[in-house]
Amino acid sequence: MIITKKHLPRRTFLRGLGVSLALPMLDSMVPAFASATSAQATRRLGVVYVPNGMFMQNWTPAMLGASSGPLEITETLRPLAAHRDRLLMVSGLCSEEGIARPGEGAGDHARAAGAFLTGVHPKKTEGHDIRAGVSMDQLAARVLGRETQLASLELSLESAERAGSCDPGYSCAYANTLCWSSDTTPLPMASDPRAVFERLFGAGGTTDPAAWLEARQHDRSLLDMVTAKVARLKGELGHRDRIKLNEYLDAVRDVERRIQMAEQQPTRELPAMDQPAGVPGRFEDHAKLMFDLQVLAYQADLTRVITFMLGHETSNRAYPEIGVPDAHHALSHHGGDRELIERLKKVDVHLASMFAYYVGRLASTPDGDGTLLDSVMILYGSGLSDGNRHNHHDLPTLLVGGGAGQLRGGRHLQVAKDTPNANLFLTMLGKLGVPVEAFGDSTGRVQALSV
Amino acid sequence: MTARGIVGSVAMTLLTGVGPLSAQPTSESPAAPSPARALLDQYCIACHNDRARQAGLSLQSLEDPRIGQVPAETEIWEKVVRKLRSQTMPPPGRPRPEAAVYHRVALSLETELDRVSAANPNPGQPPIHRLNRVEYRNAIRDLLGLEIDERELLPPDESGYGFDNIADILAVSPALLDRYMLAAERVSRLAVGDAAIGPSVETYTVPYTLWQEGRMSEALPFGSRGGLAVQHHFPLDGEYVITLELQRAYGNHIRGLGEPNDIELRLDRARVGQFTVGGDGERAPWAAVSQPTFWEQSADDGLEVRLDVRAGTRQVSAAFLDRTAVAEGVLDARPGVSSHAYSRDRNAAMALESIEISGPYNAVTPEDTPSRQLVFSCYPALASQERSCATEILSGLARRAFRRPVNDADVQPLVTLYDEGRRGADFETGIQFALRGILIDPEFLFRVERDPAGVAPGTAFSITDVELASRMSFFLWSSLPDDELLEVAARGELREPGMLTRQVARMLRDPRSGALIDNFFGQWLLLRNMRTVTPDPDAFLDFDENLRGAMEEETSLFVESQVREDRSVLDLLTADYTFLNERLARHYGVPHVYGNHFRRVKVATAGRGGLLGQASILTTTSYPNRTSPTKRGLWVLENLLGSPPPPPPPEVPGLPDATHPDEGRQLSMRERMEVHRTSPVCASCHVLMDPLGFSLENFDGIGSWRTDEGGTTIDASSTLPDGTHFNGPAGLRDLLLSREERFVETVTEKLLTYALGRGVEYTDAPAVRQVVRDTARMDYRWSSLIVSIIESAPFQMRRSREP
Repeated sequence: MIITKKHLPRRTFLRGLGVSLALPMLDSMVPAFASATSAQATRRLGVVYVPNGMFMQNWTPAMLGASSGPLEITETLRPLAAHRDRLLMVSGLCSEEGIARPGEGAGDHARAAGAFLTGVHPKKTEGHDIRAGVSMDQLAARVLGRETQLASLELSLESAERAGSCDPGYSCAYANTLCWSSDTTPLPMASDPRAVFERLFGAGGTTDPAAWLEARQHDRSLLDMVTAKVARLKGELGHRDRIKLNEYLDAVRDVERRIQMAEQQPTRELPAMDQPAGVPGRFEDHAKLMFDLQVLAYQADLTRVITFMLGHETSNRAYPEIGVPDAHHALSHHGGDRELIERLKKVDVHLASMFAYYVGRLASTPDGDGTLLDSVMILYGSGLSDGNRHNHHDLPTLLVGGGAGQLRGGRHLQVAKDTPNANLFLTMLGKLGVPVEAFGDSTGRVQALSV
Repeated sequence: MTARGIVGSVAMTLLTGVGPLSAQPTSESPAAPSPARALLDQYCIACHNDRARQAGLSLQSLEDPRIGQVPAETEIWEKVVRKLRSQTMPPPGRPRPEAAVYHRVALSLETELDRVSAANPNPGQPPIHRLNRVEYRNAIRDLLGLEIDERELLPPDESGYGFDNIADILAVSPALLDRYMLAAERVSRLAVGDAAIGPSVETYTVPYTLWQEGRMSEALPFGSRGGLAVQHHFPLDGEYVITLELQRAYGNHIRGLGEPNDIELRLDRARVGQFTVGGDGERAPWAAVSQPTFWEQSADDGLEVRLDVRAGTRQVSAAFLDRTAVAEGVLDARPGVSSHAYSRDRNAAMALESIEISGPYNAVTPEDTPSRQLVFSCYPALASQERSCATEILSGLARRAFRRPVNDADVQPLVTLYDEGRRGADFETGIQFALRGILIDPEFLFRVERDPAGVAPGTAFSITDVELASRMSFFLWSSLPDDELLEVAARGELREPGMLTRQVARMLRDPRSGALIDNFFGQWLLLRNMRTVTPDPDAFLDFDENLRGAMEEETSLFVESQVREDRSVLDLLTADYTFLNERLARHYGVPHVYGNHFRRVKVATAGRGGLLGQASILTTTSYPNRTSPTKRGLWVLENLLGSPPPPPPPEVPGLPDATHPDEGRQLSMRERMEVHRTSPVCASCHVLMDPLGFSLENFDGIGSWRTDEGGTTIDASSTLPDGTHFNGPAGLRDLLLSREERFVETVTEKLLTYALGRGVEYTDAPAVRQVVRDTARMDYRWSSLIVSIIESAPFQMRRSREP
């Protein structure tokens, strides 16, 4: 057997590409550009998604009937304990639109992901007419993205590369993403750190923005040619083709806009980071590298909106490194087996500890007068609560960060049972400065996030 | 008509007020209902009537003479035919017709449905079709003679209907366009051989759990042990540095340093470096936690060669000389690769960790490469010839890239790009820039089919020969049509008698048809999932990378031999041979197979003949630590019998607690599943899936044969809801063969889905039946199946666009 495919290197970084510094970044380099954003606290949104729900007894603290109170660090939250006063847990939220409608049957995972950030019931289909709604992050990106080169980033730890169908009757697109730029356009998520790096900084192997800009200015005439060609084709084709071509044209405009933005932004010096060589073999290395890239993207102000899936819905990743050889999705259907539940708890804590690494990085990265953790508003949660029973109620939801002064952490907030998830998102959008009156299945706003 | 039928009709008339009979204003005495209607009345409408509407379906007012007049009813009729053919309705326990009645009524309905469809076909209206990344890679290879790694350049594609080439699903996002632009830049520079390409580093790593013993590949020399051979593209003539790294044990000791090892580095099979490592340095004393000496960590420093390499794709290999004089087939006992004994052991045989290739340094544009030959169809000797030569080059590239004859309007914008690139630089830079334009052109990235002028909206018409050529090449090659196919099509000769068959035969002989094996079978048979399965090392100590690779290779070689030898589709189930190497043969318990290379082996024993005995399928349909009869059964139903069970209801109750409610003992998985099945909601599906899966229980979660599970003897006997009893893999195979038409029809539907790049709809059912009938006359041979699909209406035609 000749191995022609490149094996994914276990080593994370390429050697010998230009001059570069190893992570962690040097904080001493930050003030050089942080001043550019210090005039007004920058607002940033992040979503970090846990697939297949959680073992809820280890997540939710006992509330004894109160509607809000100080946050008790539960078993699953333990890795995040050091940041307790930046954590705001919201309990009682429901993703009503993820629940099956009569006759729809199975597919709770696809629906959970499809409905999570959209508040819209995903249409049951394998193919030609996938439909949900514009997701919360994309609404935020329409406003927050005006000031950055990239409106948003969509990332995942699992590639969409899976043969066979996903949840029965549902296109894989539903379970593989949370982000929808229109109600018919799911946005794919990038899982290869090298590709993410290149999206942020181009293929030059350097984080130098000037090099990127020079290379991109040549792209203009290519884009003009393509735009003219699309216009010509549109005249010859029908409605459904035009939808496809419009997607393409929107993408072209996005690239053009990015070049404009880059020209207008003041040149800034960035901490150098080695260009990743590919997907690291170890889950933990992969997760941390993807979090590092998110810190870098915020830090360089290349985007202010990032959605990140720790796995796609129905993820069957096994975690042998923490003593869990079982597939995650299969494990989530533990059926009450004590041994399996113990392992599921381990997975929940493991994922939380990966997230804690990110929160720690954000807390130690200066931004304006504070840190990135002060400015971000990150939603950590899942579209299912008890995965064993495909429960769409009482979702595990944690808001993390200062939200640029808009969030007060260290608390646990219990909202009325079955308050739509969309109410929280509507409130978050308001606090991010995104004027939206209603969203998905929202019925109002969630009070007391910032009391 | 039976009494029951009469009651049914009367009840229906009373309920609806206007029964179908009273709607006919005819003076004749009421005609006897058609056989189909009578069958529905007798067996179906007790549940599927307008009021009860079981499963949302009413069959109450269907009349088969009306077939073709109401599209919504055609869809229902196709459902009825399917249930009759699979004999899955009425449900077990209800009165059922005789088998002959099932057949007779289904046949008469099919005949009518087919007649109506032939008179007024509905071939579908696929939208413009973006190339997926495998097609993109192949298109670059065929357009520019360049091997690229698409996994590095482009994100993976979403799939639907089990395949990743579905037009409706393949979208474009800003992130994807970003990648296309980047890829276009890189590919165009590589194609032209731009001397300004900076050095880059590629690392090829050997998986940690791959045992490096024996001759690892045909590309490595005889008498070698371990190592790796890779195909690497050297973009320019220049200097390159090739560096080898050796594998470390747990404590960062380089393995196998106790004795000298000879390592050979080869470029296109010629030796370019030879090193000896080991036996001559300071080793740390043994300790439970041993601290490696400096030498133990650095003995592989300097395994490096700097050399001049001519541009092109070349084979780079590194392997150890095999000093051990162990006779073939006598293997030392070895620990499982995931065990501590393995990962800690610095005394394990020396192994290669990676080959790293960096460069080019001091590069020059090569005189001649396959890419440059393809691109520079002319070369200007004088400045005054440059523009006309550029026009010639770009016309040729555009024709092949857009897969159609091109005109001025197509070429002019490219020449404008050339002019821009040429300014301030040279001729080649201009070509390179225009090539970037071609590679992001929507007509390269999308397959576009146009409506003929003047056709009324919504009518079926035959696509042009040129469009047909593209459909054929993307079906069989996952790539562009070659010059011959495009020429034939452009001359309008593709549909001349015998031409299609001739071209298909030629295309199947071409190595490019390997794409059909990789992409169709790789997805249909879940082979691609082999790369990501993670069997639990505690449950399957025996699983390692060698086995993973071997399982994938076996099925791949097997299906390839089936198609290339033009065997019957049924032979997928009944073949008495497979492909094995020593590792897999040992896994299967097949004796006398030695060495790492694969060979054809007769296996008539223990259920290994045919797909059902292949470890790849048995592994991908298992959980990491155990088998799943349900997953296996579901796979058989969906992929071999084409009758997926109804989806489970929402909020499925979980498996019951693992402890017996009264006895307090642990329940076995099978017992827990049986409790689960006592819930009627769960049972309705599991009675279909589980029996199929139970018959494969003699294969464990990685497909090795077992007769007991934890001391309990495996019971591989099963009974289907209709009472059919069968036992073990052979029993399952015979069961499938007894429904050979369903099996062939399912293969046809899967292949048609892949060929069209869209979901197969009820409107395609007549075409599927036609293909199955045609293929049956040719003993279900693959060539006839493929040709019949290409000749079918959905492949040959499309419906014009509605505004």
